[in-house]
Amino acid sequence: MAGDRQAPPGPRANVKMVIDGQPHEFPAGLTILEACQRVGIVVPFFCWHPGLSAPAVCRQCLVEIKGFPKPIPSCYTPVADKMEISTNSPKVLDVRRQMLEFTLLNHPIDCPICDKAGECMLQKHYFDWDARFARNDGSKVRKAKVVDLGRHIVLDQERCILCTRCIRVCNEVARQADLVMAFRGDRQLLTVAPGRRLDNPYSLNTVDVCPVGALTAKDFRFSMRAWELWATPSVCPGCATGCNIEIHSARDVIRRLIPRPNPAVNKYWMCDEGRLTYRRVHQDRLVAPMVAGAPASWDAALGEAARLLASARDKSPSTLGVVLSTQMTNEDLFAFTRLAAEHLRTERVYLAGAPEGWCDDILVSADKNPNTTGAKLIGGLTLRTATDLKQDLETGVLTALLLVGEADAVGSLGSLQSLVVLTSHQGAPVAAAQVALPLAMWAEVDGSFTNRQGKVQRLHAAITPAGQARPGWAIAARLGQALGAAWRYANAKQVFSEACEKIMLMSGADWGKPEIPVQLRFANSRG
Amino acid sequence: MATVVKIVNRPAGWKRRSYLWGTMQGLGVTFGHLMRNWPRNLLGRRAQSDIVTLAYPEEKRPYPPRNRGLHRLMKRADGQVRCVACMMCPTACPAHCISIVPEESEDPRIEKRPRVFQIDELRCVVCGLCVEACPCDAIRMDTGIHAPPSTRRADAILDKEELLSRGELSVAVQAGEGLFWRERK
Repeated sequence: MAGDRQAPPGPRANVKMVIDGQPHEFPAGLTILEACQRVGIVVPFFCWHPGLSAPAVCRQCLVEIKGFPKPIPSCYTPVADKMEISTNSPKVLDVRRQMLEFTLLNHPIDCPICDKAGECMLQKHYFDWDARFARNDGSKVRKAKVVDLGRHIVLDQERCILCTRCIRVCNEVARQADLVMAFRGDRQLLTVAPGRRLDNPYSLNTVDVCPVGALTAKDFRFSMRAWELWATPSVCPGCATGCNIEIHSARDVIRRLIPRPNPAVNKYWMCDEGRLTYRRVHQDRLVAPMVAGAPASWDAALGEAARLLASARDKSPSTLGVVLSTQMTNEDLFAFTRLAAEHLRTERVYLAGAPEGWCDDILVSADKNPNTTGAKLIGGLTLRTATDLKQDLETGVLTALLLVGEADAVGSLGSLQSLVVLTSHQGAPVAAAQVALPLAMWAEVDGSFTNRQGKVQRLHAAITPAGQARPGWAIAARLGQALGAAWRYANAKQVFSEACEKIMLMSGADWGKPEIPVQLRFANSRG
Repeated sequence: MATVVKIVNRPAGWKRRSYLWGTMQGLGVTFGHLMRNWPRNLLGRRAQSDIVTLAYPEEKRPYPPRNRGLHRLMKRADGQVRCVACMMCPTACPAHCISIVPEESEDPRIEKRPRVFQIDELRCVVCGLCVEACPCDAIRMDTGIHAPPSTRRADAILDKEELLSRGELSVAVQAGEGLFWRERK
């Protein structure tokens, strides 16, 4: 990606230097700021971002270098041999305060109504390095408060500290020059480039990188304070890329998704479409098991489902089909594959999913299913496709179907004698089914997705499942028991370990350490 | 363990056996109090009597001067709610009795305001931390009104309209109102 500074080719020597009186050794090519971060020395900054280029405009990261007449921006200066740096001398602390005072000169201190309060870099740096009353008695320069920049973004020009991070996100990540700076001095302001709008598919990244609350997402604006949210690491279900995300939720409602840095997958970014996938978790959910269109208890619904499937299997296993979805987790897929093979004894296992969509060469992939790779690994070579399913439904080969997960490409279900549906949402399959069982969604379960690179990535349950919905592997285990299976699973980890044992290409995948939601009240700045 | 039976004989003598003498003694104490307190009460010198009870509801014991009472929401000059839904009070509240749903205001000088502002007076521990936390002088606990009794829990949850009905104009300066505060001398 454009933001990464590539190391120059050839052998690189290490440099020996002194930071705050301590000798250190770093590879050449590092900036002083990165070197300080490596050894745990805090140097405050606004405009620097690990995934973007460094223009050194905020001057907050100034450090003193022995022999240099003036403090030097550490984000811009590469380390050199025999350099002696001071990050906490009285002079450095003084210029740090002066720069902060300068930044705050025209900043409206409207933290009580600012969405960024609690995760704001300016707030944090002020309390860490200054924490004094303003010396400025004059009135502040007023700018526009609510500027509509694009589909997802609202700008408060007063709050902007002119760090240009958002401009660089547009230029370097989305590769569209949508934002520019206009005017000079204290009248300088951020605005859209003439004739453009901030409508690129990565526009919401500007909200994340904004060190203050100048850029706000229309979707999240004024709905929550940062410290009310709980963060859970997860993976975006929007496409096969599998961007690492943090689910921010409060009281069992997801409020936003933000990217979680992963240099191997999504760097620091994710697309706008992916960020809004959380909405579906709270829309049109199937909340209770249904038998013949009426709500029923889990025991009754499972019993009826098992009876339908068993009678179809006993009649003729070749007319019984199982449809799995590429939207499901590896654990769900494994449990259902096992159920189909051992207890339904059918070879007609189909793989369906969401249809293909748009893509680009940045992050978005055309395959809009998060776990296509995982489904193909677990299902093996015998998996039939959605086209086969459509054909088999039309020709009437299938008389009974177990439809698991969300699948838009399923053909007409009218010719079936019995239909058992496991799904998270209301819709046509639920209406047509004899038995419909509510399935928990990606944000509600522990599990894993395998992305297009073949990386097995963990999901963590952020919220409790809607209504009586349950994870797919648990439903598969209960169905299996009702069909006479001896196996049972206590948790998703057990299913995952078994999948790793049995599926060669998944061996060595790590379940990872358990993560519980962390309240952002204790999480400091996310910038 | 063997059960031990202890036999208590009835006391000897008619005085103790009939309990009459004991009853008379007790009534004597009561009558003595009556004789001491009744004339003082009649003469309006109740304070000098031994009576500690109050003739509620005609008489009420005054609350201490620092009594807080029910919450109220203060108003801006145009009667709008001062609250900007900054969530300081629910964050500070140890009883989690305040729930606010914010919304965007059409007025760009206000920007944010509460759509829903509810206080569960049954949960409230009357600590006053919400008032301490408020940066806008929007919430106060100075009405002195005791939380009214109710037969349903839902009745004890005060909504924005009810909290505003006791509100008054606050003279504290709020951001967005006119000039920078140091210039308002």
